[in-house]
Amino acid sequence: MSYYQVPIGPQHPAIKEAFQFNFILDGEVIVDVKPRLGFVHRGIEKGMELRTWTQGIFLAERICGICNVPHTTCYCLAVEKIYGIEVPERAKYLRIIINELNRIHSHLLWIGVLGMELGFHTLFMYVWRDRERVMDLVEMISGNRVTPSMNCIGGVVYDITPEMIPVIRRNLDYLEERTKYYKSVLEEDPTIRARTVDVGVLSTGKALDLCAVGPVARASNVKSDVRFDDPYTLYDTINFNLITYDTCDVWGRAMVRVDETLESINAIRQALDKMRPGPINVKVKRIPPVGEANARVEAPRGELLHYVKSDGKETPYRAKMRTPTLANIPSLCEMLKGYYIADIPAIVASIDPCYCCTERVMFIDPNKGEKWTWSYDELRNYSRKYYGVGV
Amino acid sequence: MDLAFTLIRIFIFPGLLFLSILAFLFEWIDRKAYARFQNRIGPLYAGPSGILQPIADFIKLMGKEDITPKYVDALIFNNAPIFAVAIPFFASLYLPLDGSPILTSFEGDIVLLLTLMTLYTIVAFIAGWASTNRFSTVGAARAVLQFLAYEIPMFISVASVAVYVGSTSLTYISMNQPVPMILLQPIGFIVFVISMQAELERIPFDIPEAESEIVAGWLTEYCGPKLAFLRFAEDLKLVFCSGLATALFLAGGSGPILPPLVWFVLKMIFVVLLSSYIRSLFARFRIDQMVSGCWKYLIPLSILQLILTRFVGVGLRWL
Amino acid sequence: MAMIREVFRHLFKHPVTVKYPFERTPTAERYRGKHEFYVDRCVGCGLCARECPALAIELVPSDKNVNGRIPIFYLDRCIFCAQCERICPRAAIHLTKFYELASHDRKTLLYRAV
Repeated sequence: MSYYQVPIGPQHPAIKEAFQFNFILDGEVIVDVKPRLGFVHRGIEKGMELRTWTQGIFLAERICGICNVPHTTCYCLAVEKIYGIEVPERAKYLRIIINELNRIHSHLLWIGVLGMELGFHTLFMYVWRDRERVMDLVEMISGNRVTPSMNCIGGVVYDITPEMIPVIRRNLDYLEERTKYYKSVLEEDPTIRARTVDVGVLSTGKALDLCAVGPVARASNVKSDVRFDDPYTLYDTINFNLITYDTCDVWGRAMVRVDETLESINAIRQALDKMRPGPINVKVKRIPPVGEANARVEAPRGELLHYVKSDGKETPYRAKMRTPTLANIPSLCEMLKGYYIADIPAIVASIDPCYCCTERVMFIDPNKGEKWTWSYDELRNYSRKYYGVGV
Repeated sequence: MDLAFTLIRIFIFPGLLFLSILAFLFEWIDRKAYARFQNRIGPLYAGPSGILQPIADFIKLMGKEDITPKYVDALIFNNAPIFAVAIPFFASLYLPLDGSPILTSFEGDIVLLLTLMTLYTIVAFIAGWASTNRFSTVGAARAVLQFLAYEIPMFISVASVAVYVGSTSLTYISMNQPVPMILLQPIGFIVFVISMQAELERIPFDIPEAESEIVAGWLTEYCGPKLAFLRFAEDLKLVFCSGLATALFLAGGSGPILPPLVWFVLKMIFVVLLSSYIRSLFARFRIDQMVSGCWKYLIPLSILQLILTRFVGVGLRWL
Repeated sequence: MAMIREVFRHLFKHPVTVKYPFERTPTAERYRGKHEFYVDRCVGCGLCARECPALAIELVPSDKNVNGRIPIFYLDRCIFCAQCERICPRAAIHLTKFYELASHDRKTLLYRAV
């Protein structure tokens, strides 16, 4: 029996970012997967060390285009822990609103992407047409459709005026009706069910072993959601459900995301009701005290971690991010084994990959079990030697 | 005089030139309808309402660089597009566009037409195989596998029509339908439309050229003029299959007031719109689901249609 | 099935595509586009240049204010975050709604108010 190897990536029409998976195939059946990441590394953690604390917010925002709001929220929460300040209550509700709007937009984008990977271009066009409403809402609140830049250290920057609230509610009603329609499409359409039910199964035990996060874990009946386990910014005052499905397949992950969209719409309505007038940010000093902190938020893709360390200077000493897609890659390799080539797009799309978030560099010597990192000077010397410029 | 008349009929009207114009027109109708189903506009700026867009695409591709990769089998790789265009052209010459066929008609020409469609799949297979690209190989293998699935239901549904009318000449069938076959044999029509969708490699059966999995399937290595010809061949296949559906099931060119050619083209447009509608409704099937679905559902339905025709239809006609 | 009727109905609906550049959707009031610099309000403190995350503001010598310098804006580096608008103590910078800034030449993307 001879196996042959098919690389998907780094250039392929199916994938939106550069990554490489080497599939070892036996006919049309996948036997093994070897991932190879690192094509989109941009040096963000290093970039954080060269910029001031406020400038770091904008760099954190550009880690990912789709889940930019959780990144800024997480960074601001970590830095605010170092300062030891508490943001005003209205700012917390505003953060909930913008985070949930971002979650709705990300999940709607994902449903469209699932449709495109399955060859269902009509669903893709319809969902992205409805997603425009969310982006118009974000533009109305903050001034930019994709990167609202709404968080700052100490609160938020833009406020929701009373004229905006009816517009937001109207659009939320429209989105709720359309999301319910897409939920019925996912439940009833025979071709989608044929391509996603019992495909890419990740059992509950394996999901816990391989530390899956986000909708991937919740579709395998693992109850883990940072908004419930470790509530931040007043999520414990909002009444909504933790969605889990026990089908453990691609269809389950799709249904988890659709149901989460409906829950987010409800959460925004409750936050709008509970908001009271007040200040939206507090002034902080330019340089924080010495200390370190980490913060977790629930990004649309799973649990996101930021760790920040300050040594009393204008720029952070170290900033580290752990994004949810990185945690889901071992589960992805497990999910792919035993299925056909034709299932690859559906399964890879089901973890909602965002590789630009994922890239981190670390040196590991597996034989000696050592780990180390390089300093800026070592990196510079290596690149000069590589390009033959002279040390 | 006769020879000149025949040559004009074959090459100009309603022959090859007219068929080419129909192919580009149908591609435009398909793209516009597909776009409207998806709430967008479709081609807009090339010509009035974008009607010249397929011709513009063809000319653009013809002007690109013609690359033959180093390790392909040059003989097959370079000549496959020519065969791919020639086969639907030759097959369309048997369609009774204006009441009488362009080339000729004889008893059994339906069998010839279906065999020509088989040959097209063989051309697709060897074109993909000769490309020696991993993705092309998978696409070529899938094309043949898909062919195994849709071939039989298509043949049987065509045979049901032939059995009812009592002849295997396409012209005779299209001329002698006082009641169109779509009303007398609806199951056969549905089976034929589904198999036609699989033959034309359109969603939900565009598995041999699934873009999100294997780049472009058996077409991957083609670029420039060869790709222009292969895409033109797909449009010609659309013309031929819709013409076949019209002649078999929709009573050919018969209808009041307007000349038969106009009625034939209008009915072909109806079939094209139906195909675009199906194309926008579904996601893509997997190859094993497609093959098992065809053998489990389509073939029994077509056999049921044949049995109904033989014992009920023909019997009714004798009454 | 859910899609059949919905897709068929769309054949008769008006397409949602906006025929840019012949039609444009209106932008929101708070949209962050090209800068507008009020030179008579500026005092030359330099906070905007220090705060800009993208290093898109440069202070050039000028005789318009007591500190002797005013900012110029490199729109090709700008990320339109509006930090300069927030931090300016005299509200001399405002981001307008104009967004059609594409150009073939980088030199045209330098905004100097005077």
